[in-house]
Amino acid sequence: MKIYTNIRFLTLVFAFASISIFSEGRDASAEVKIVTSIPDFAAIAKEIGGDKVVVESLAKGYQDPHFVDAKPIFITRLNQADLLVYNGLDLEIGWLPILITGARNSDIAAPAALGHYNASTSIKNVLEIPTAPVDRSIGDVHPGGNPHYMLDPRNGIPVARGIAARLIRMDPENASYYEENFKNFASTLRLKISEWETELKPFKGTKVVTYHKMWIYFTKWAGLTEAGYIEPKPGIPPSPSHVANLIKSMEKLQVKLIIAANFYPEKTASLVAEKTGAAFLSLPVLVEGRDGINTYTELFDAIVGEVTSALKDKTGSVKDSVYRHKE
Amino acid sequence: MNLRRTTIVLFALSIVSSPLINHKAHGQERDEIKQELKELKQMMEKMQERIDDLEERNHVLEQQAKDEAETIEVEEETDLTVIEPPSEEGQTFLGKALNTLNPEISVTGIFAGAWYSQDDPFVFAEIDPQNTGVNVQEIELGFQANVDPYFRFDSFFPITEEGIEIEEAYGTTLFSLPLNSQFRVGKMRAKFGRINQIHRHSQNFVTLPLPAAQFLGEHLNPTSIEANFLVPVPWYMELSASGGSPEVETPTFARDEDANDLGRLLYIFHIANFFELSESLGVSLGGSFATGSNGTAPGARSNLYGIDLFAKYRPLRNNPYQEIMLQSEFMYLDAETPEENLENWGWYGQLVYRFAKRWNSGFRFGIIDTNTPVEEEKEGLLVEPAGTFSLLRDEEGEEEGMLGLLGRTYRISPMLTFNPSEFSRMRLEYDYLNQSFGPNQHAIFLQFQYAIGAHGAHRY
Repeated sequence: MKIYTNIRFLTLVFAFASISIFSEGRDASAEVKIVTSIPDFAAIAKEIGGDKVVVESLAKGYQDPHFVDAKPIFITRLNQADLLVYNGLDLEIGWLPILITGARNSDIAAPAALGHYNASTSIKNVLEIPTAPVDRSIGDVHPGGNPHYMLDPRNGIPVARGIAARLIRMDPENASYYEENFKNFASTLRLKISEWETELKPFKGTKVVTYHKMWIYFTKWAGLTEAGYIEPKPGIPPSPSHVANLIKSMEKLQVKLIIAANFYPEKTASLVAEKTGAAFLSLPVLVEGRDGINTYTELFDAIVGEVTSALKDKTGSVKDSVYRHKE
Repeated sequence: MNLRRTTIVLFALSIVSSPLINHKAHGQERDEIKQELKELKQMMEKMQERIDDLEERNHVLEQQAKDEAETIEVEEETDLTVIEPPSEEGQTFLGKALNTLNPEISVTGIFAGAWYSQDDPFVFAEIDPQNTGVNVQEIELGFQANVDPYFRFDSFFPITEEGIEIEEAYGTTLFSLPLNSQFRVGKMRAKFGRINQIHRHSQNFVTLPLPAAQFLGEHLNPTSIEANFLVPVPWYMELSASGGSPEVETPTFARDEDANDLGRLLYIFHIANFFELSESLGVSLGGSFATGSNGTAPGARSNLYGIDLFAKYRPLRNNPYQEIMLQSEFMYLDAETPEENLENWGWYGQLVYRFAKRWNSGFRFGIIDTNTPVEEEKEGLLVEPAGTFSLLRDEEGEEEGMLGLLGRTYRISPMLTFNPSEFSRMRLEYDYLNQSFGPNQHAIFLQFQYAIGAHGAHRY
């Protein structure tokens, strides 16, 4: 009987202690806690939220966002989050759903919740939405469309607006602050976009080969033409026969540039580059994908800068490249 | 006077009649003019229409050009405060309804070609390859979906040569509850150790580790209510407790036939910790305890203790597809029987090295041993000699498994796996089995796995 009373007492103490710890944890700071799946969203959220928010990305910028380990610690982070921002279009399907279920946080769990923001819902022009029924014999194709829309810098604006709109509704006291930050972000990015477009203009129509089918948003915006892939099918590593065919067709089409995300193996791509005389760029595709890239604009400064300088080198001069293209 | 009057009348008459006369004289001409005017008016109306039309077209074209050229400007001008509540973005009512009505469906098939060095080989788990030849190990149907904003339902039905079973069918709460708790209700793989929570097609070897097969059966999946809590510590810590049906396919626990006592149900407790030592290295450490009747006598209990360890090293930079995983579990069983307490224990450790995107290799060592060996009678039948216990766990005289162990058994298993994609797998494994009370056994397996349907998320 005495033991029973003791146990009851201890349970009560434990319960009260836990409640107080939990409630403190929730109320300690008024900052909005934002967890994002990839660092691009974290970088944008930081610019919009400033010192009113705490932001953390689950995936690292130098990591393949398709294959992130569903580390249990992420459950803890999502449990404490007020806002979850993720890419959608099945990019995170291999790891995020299990974390959301484990998070036991109704603020972010349901797709209809204010704290659950699937950023792809703000993108007007989702590319490569399959028109025919999808089958995995064509590789790991995403039925909702190509998920790598953040590689078109113009898509940064609707995503930033989406984040700002959520923050305004979650924290109306600071609405004007978020709005101001969004406007600054958008006008800066718009300015940068026209700069990048000017830099890219001379290379319009230039053919490039990419590693994974993830560059369509970038190449479409930059005016480049995708002439082949190192991967025979999305998600399937290159086979020797595919590589041999690719080299032949690259020579025929005079492809001068191969681009790959820097988390893919470089061996095959550099081999192909060597055989065809094309340049090979292993590029960061996410914020923090390389040291020194901490904002969304810095990411495109790097990508556009490297692509244009590689094309200048390979094609001799701008005029030359246009001439060759016409040829 | 008359003349004057007549003149006036005539004059007046002429005046009065003059418009009539005039009218008669010019009527035809006026009609023509009117007609022309009408036609002109109609023409002008038509022209106006055409002008309007052209203007409209021009406007549309201009707008299109403007839209194309200035998408970004238009984007930016939108007022943030009048943005629609974002909750329904991209989700139509129909879409939602369809999502609700269509659970994610998946089918996984596991088949294995097997060769054993002896007839009637020792097989430890239900879906390990049973004989030399080609075996269906398991075909698993999975249906999973969110029920509503409050619950999620997951169900898995393995089809084996013996028929269809319920492996798991449980609901999980999705809403915030006090103390960061979450409930699962239904039939589910219990949170006991690590391997018990992993479906066969996600495991790294063809056969089930010896201690898991011996103490938990193919899987310990009682029908129960489970509460688990996320403890507010700087690392990840989860406490879970479940209570439920002792009707499980394992020799360790069984229903106490005569009991009308909540204390004799099966209770399982688990503590899970995860430490992120660096972005490349994560370590999970867990402890488990299960207690329940074992069916040998009224009130006889089995207490099963477990420790599990999992470590994964995966450098995130540059070499994304290399990883090393270490997994190990220790189990200790203390089982009361009418005559004596049985003390059995088991351990396995496995190391898996993924050396390329599609390839991994691994090595596993597993052992089960006992402090109280049971004795084997003649003719291979297990009976109950004085002083020892060989407890048949069957109702109809067929041997299903036993609570006690005959002695020490260990097994060594190297394997090599090729994954053509995320959805198919080929695995080659060699098992060497050594038993202190019987002949050694060699086995070679070539396993094939296929998964179709919904792409589930991977556990850590």
